[in-house]
Amino acid sequence: MSGGPLIVQSDKTLLLEIDHPDARACRMAIAPFAELERSPEHVHTYRLTPLGLWNARAAGHDAEAVVDALIKYSRYPVPHALLVDVAETMDRYGRLQLANDPAYGLVLRALDRLVLIEVAKSKKLAGMLGAKIDDDTIAVHPSERGRLKQALLKLGWPAEDLAGYVDGEAHPIELAESGKDGGKPFTLRSYQREAVEAFWAGGSGVVVLPCGAGKTLVGAAAMAEAKATTLILVTNTVAGRQWKRELIARTSLTEDEIGEYSGERKEIRPVTIATYQVLTSRRGGAFTHLDLFSARDWGLVVYDEVHLLPAPIFRFTADLQARRRLGLTATLVREDGREGDVFSLIGPKRYDAPWKDIEQQGWIAPAECTEVRVTLTDAERMSYATAEAEERYRMAATARTKLPVVRALVQRHAHEQVLVIGGYIDQLHQLGEYLDAPIVQGSTTNKERERLFDAFRSGELRTLVISKVGNFSIDLPEAAVAIQVSGTFGSRQEEAQRLGRVLRPKADGRQAHFYTVVSRDTIDTEYAAHRQRFLAEQGYAYTIVDADDVLGPSLPSLD
Amino acid sequence: MTTSLADHLRALPDESLAALLQLRPDLVVPVPADVTALAVRAESRVSVARALDGLDQFTLQVLDAARLTRRPEDGTSSTDAVLAITTAGPHPPAPTSVRSALDRLRALFLLYGPESALRVAGGVDEVAPYPAGLGRPAAELDPRAAALCADAAKLRRTLLAAPPSARAVLDRLAAGPPVGSVPPGALQAPAVGAEDELPPDPTNGGAPTGSPVRWLVDARLLVRVSTGTVELPREVGLLLRRDSGPLGPLRTSPPPVAGTLREPKLADSAGAGQTMELVRHTEALLESLAAEPAPVLRSGGVGVRDLRRLARVTGLDEAATALVLEVAYAAGLVGETDLPGATTTRYGADQQVLPTGGYEVWRAVSLAHRWEQLARAWLTMSRQVGLVGQRDDRDRPISVLSAEAERAGAPAARRAVLEVLADLAPATAPSPDEVLALLDWRAPRRSRGREAAHREVLTEAAQLGVTGLGALTSYGRLLLAEVTEADGRGGGDPLGLRSDAESGEPSSAVRALDALLPAPVDHFLVQADLSVVVPGPPDPMLAAELDVVAEHESAGGASVHRVTTASVRRALDAGYTTEDLHALFRRRSRTPVPQGLTYLVDDVARRHGGLRVGSAGGYVRSDDEALLAEVLADRRLEPLGFRRLAPTVLVTPYQVQRMLLALRDAGYAPVPEDATGAAVLARPKTRRAPARAATGHSVDPLAAPKPAMPRLLGVVEQMRRGDAATRAARRAPAVVRGGAARAAAGPMPAHSHSDALAVLQQALRDKALVWVGYVDAHGATASRLVRPVSIGAGYLRAEDERTEMLHTFALHRITAAVREG
Repeated sequence: MSGGPLIVQSDKTLLLEIDHPDARACRMAIAPFAELERSPEHVHTYRLTPLGLWNARAAGHDAEAVVDALIKYSRYPVPHALLVDVAETMDRYGRLQLANDPAYGLVLRALDRLVLIEVAKSKKLAGMLGAKIDDDTIAVHPSERGRLKQALLKLGWPAEDLAGYVDGEAHPIELAESGKDGGKPFTLRSYQREAVEAFWAGGSGVVVLPCGAGKTLVGAAAMAEAKATTLILVTNTVAGRQWKRELIARTSLTEDEIGEYSGERKEIRPVTIATYQVLTSRRGGAFTHLDLFSARDWGLVVYDEVHLLPAPIFRFTADLQARRRLGLTATLVREDGREGDVFSLIGPKRYDAPWKDIEQQGWIAPAECTEVRVTLTDAERMSYATAEAEERYRMAATARTKLPVVRALVQRHAHEQVLVIGGYIDQLHQLGEYLDAPIVQGSTTNKERERLFDAFRSGELRTLVISKVGNFSIDLPEAAVAIQVSGTFGSRQEEAQRLGRVLRPKADGRQAHFYTVVSRDTIDTEYAAHRQRFLAEQGYAYTIVDADDVLGPSLPSLD
Repeated sequence: MTTSLADHLRALPDESLAALLQLRPDLVVPVPADVTALAVRAESRVSVARALDGLDQFTLQVLDAARLTRRPEDGTSSTDAVLAITTAGPHPPAPTSVRSALDRLRALFLLYGPESALRVAGGVDEVAPYPAGLGRPAAELDPRAAALCADAAKLRRTLLAAPPSARAVLDRLAAGPPVGSVPPGALQAPAVGAEDELPPDPTNGGAPTGSPVRWLVDARLLVRVSTGTVELPREVGLLLRRDSGPLGPLRTSPPPVAGTLREPKLADSAGAGQTMELVRHTEALLESLAAEPAPVLRSGGVGVRDLRRLARVTGLDEAATALVLEVAYAAGLVGETDLPGATTTRYGADQQVLPTGGYEVWRAVSLAHRWEQLARAWLTMSRQVGLVGQRDDRDRPISVLSAEAERAGAPAARRAVLEVLADLAPATAPSPDEVLALLDWRAPRRSRGREAAHREVLTEAAQLGVTGLGALTSYGRLLLAEVTEADGRGGGDPLGLRSDAESGEPSSAVRALDALLPAPVDHFLVQADLSVVVPGPPDPMLAAELDVVAEHESAGGASVHRVTTASVRRALDAGYTTEDLHALFRRRSRTPVPQGLTYLVDDVARRHGGLRVGSAGGYVRSDDEALLAEVLADRRLEPLGFRRLAPTVLVTPYQVQRMLLALRDAGYAPVPEDATGAAVLARPKTRRAPARAATGHSVDPLAAPKPAMPRLLGVVEQMRRGDAATRAARRAPAVVRGGAARAAAGPMPAHSHSDALAVLQQALRDKALVWVGYVDAHGATASRLVRPVSIGAGYLRAEDERTEMLHTFALHRITAAVREG
């Protein structure tokens, strides 16, 4: 029995004890084929999934190597059945290949004839396959490339996509690492470089990096690698502007080369930034802006915040399989569980680093998470107790008792930039008045938003109250404290996004603080626990304190 | 002079006879009466088949050689003739190996007699009709074929002329068995004029010949032995085998099993991992059965739906789940029991399968012990689990634990396969095909048709962890040796005393496995996401504690649990205090307890017991707190055991009526109220007997009755009939009565059947009464006084005056008839 750091569980999870001396080597060995699922402080959990094993196979690892790694680092005997299963699963990948045939165009080619016969009979593939060319080859219409891959994955015979990518319309893009227009020189961080390399080698795929770790820069570097016209899909206009600003600062692109395709403007330029919203807007049941995808011969499509990708975009993406696709996200967790579609349509995960690792390297600010539990007043408890079920969360989340606690927290961090984030507009207005701070919400005009954000960035404005619009892609590097008063029920990725607001490294290396104010003994607490689970699994330990400790005269140290 | 086997056996010394009985133990069950009986039994089909089953391929071939070389005149063969025919092929075996095979056969008395005149035991020809897969000589089949065979040159020419498709048929029959079946009509010549409609011969390429078999039959190379069956004459078969020798390819030694050499440690480790899985799956499955027992089907076994449910619980596929369930059953961990009472209305579901008491014992012993118990049960169970899910002869699915999956040969098949593995160097993993080839050589008659079962043994062994990476594990080897030894000892220890005596000591297999399995751990790691990781198999104390305070999430080498609000509440319900929980986490955790967990425990404990629930017989409530205080303090009401729940509510365990009476007696004025709080008004209820009708006396009981005339006449008639009946009740005459006495007396009395008929006819004419004696349907004799009504069609119809019924007697059953005197 070797005293290895890894314990193989029969549900195909791998437990890695990270305090073990071999933990680092083991992590390197298993990372190619196992998905990191949780990384709390002592034992990281990886999972062996068919997707992960096929990923490894695609990257050139064979089953023998995987089995060897498992046996070498495992502390206890590894069940024979699991080893057999790993080998069999990996063997399924690549029995079918999508390839370009000089005579017939896109074809599905089988290395194992029986598999081809099996899948050709499947009802799920009806209409996707064309004429049979010979015993091992079936023609495929190029437009079905995405859907076919999706369907084959569901059948458990993922095809290796060897059909390659079109180069797209060339457009010179360079990273301005030496500094541009008097800007500061910069270099790509090591993990950003690795992420871009992994993506480029794989062709298409998703890069998972924590908020604040510089995903925009990964996108820019990928564009510099592609040197082609690029379509960037972002969640909203403000995020689009940030991309534009960042691209102008960090690459050779000029303002004229970057177009904005949003509700306000419809520019199509060599690099075009479009919002999900405008693409999915319908008029008379038809998507009116689909032409954008064929407006130019795009060489690269970048999907920002892939975990929010709306369902219609998946459908468009199925038609874009010949173009390189880069997905950027902080988490692959989708509340709708469509991770498999991300895999087959955008691509497998190409790079992923645990948040804590990047924090330890100093690229994101260390953060301390605190949950403050507020005890409702008797009157509030009474009205909560008698409220209708659907009203309860709102009542608990917007309890007035939270206001003084928020103020106490703001005062505690009087010298730092504080964001107060909430989900209910009424509550935000109350907070705005109570704290005497401006509000950014959905109805705030883009111009006003920009103004407020600029003021906040420059330090003129210390406290800002923002609604759900602040969940995504707002770059406020100096925000060091976030206070969350209410959220979207139990959404895990929302919590991660909000924490991301304060994770940008601070100029003086200060610690970031993330507070969640919840009402005790209500459904608010339950949702909070659900939301926190994702971060706890990323290694962010929550401390729970009572509101009295925050409000009380003698402030005990939270550290 | 030929000697029978009996003569031969009689001439043997005692030791040789005993040696025969040792080799063929079935001969002594039951013990034969004499040597003749022994010889008859030794030549019986069953016994010979048994003896042949155990022989390897080469020995069987040598026996075939002896059968082929029998001289037609006296039916004997000789060692020399056998040697000549066996070494006739291109790769002749060493004569010594042929001789030793002959010795084996003679020891079994499948061959007997001196070397120059070897006789084949009777029964061999019946058991294996075609020696060496060759047909009967042509002379026995068909004279025309015999003529062809007699002319060697012509036979050769005919063979060479055979079209390729016909040649393919010949080659298949020549390899044996020499008999083939053909579809009806294939041998018929095409109708005249319809020859052109025949499809062209695909392999022949030439003119259509119809069926190649028909060509062969026409050419006398095949002989039709019955409708739809053809046989290849021996001479043709031998000619076709001239390249491989008359007996076909001979193999004196078993086919080699090379296999892949694994690293012994890795093989053991993979197997050990699998043993942990097996034990864990068994436990999960049994726990699930305990929670929801599976009903037994009317046809026996457990249904597919329940199997699927269990498969979901264990996370295995259905085949593997079936194996785990069967093994657990064989190990005595699962059993059937009658349903307690009528808890279900489903028809036929009156038995269910659930864990036995043995499961509790099993759970308490070490991992290796538990595995050993399962693996032993698997080795010896006479079940072929691979049949589960297939269809039986009547095309019904075979369900798990049902009688259809019972196969007496299963343990032997397992032993045979595992012994092949055990004979190899440690950690050698042979391919299934190699194993099957070897088994086929070792006992071709036994392994034929068992290929699927043998393959199943290999997969099952892998699932049980008896093998790892395809090789027999070190502990699996030890276990197999122990079981084999115990079996071998079976004869000398019929009461199983010895195995009982050593049960306290762990077997060597258990010790070997123990060394491979991880040692139990008594600590865990707690993390901020409230997960609790036990880095190894938990010791039983720890497992029990975690069962209460945390939810189980993932199992395997280690186990992962999660502390949730619900699990903490469960622990508090189970009697843990907040302090106990904190102490538990502090004591067991190797890592600092996260603040979130401490807070969670405190928070749940704070709310725990916020509501109190209890039951009471009745309550007293009043808005007047002082009044209630008075009631509570009243010593006369002490027996009611009042308890104050709130300033305005008292409760008592006693019923409302009793409380009301007691309160009223004590001078209070309580008013009862119902569940909605409304006052219940009660008036005292007067007791009454059930209502009844008044008794009237309209008739004077002492007045004399005055019956009416018709009634009196009826009485008179009744009396007269009674009179007649009394007369008739006289005994029937002896001649009618004495059927039984007559039979004993032997000869028939003078009163014959025709006399009886005459008496009856006379009585019919006279309308007189007759005693009729007859034999009823049950053979009993009876007599009856009747008045004949008619005689005809073999029946007498007559009226019985006493019962006023018309009877019908079959005339042939009537034994006597006497006029009533």
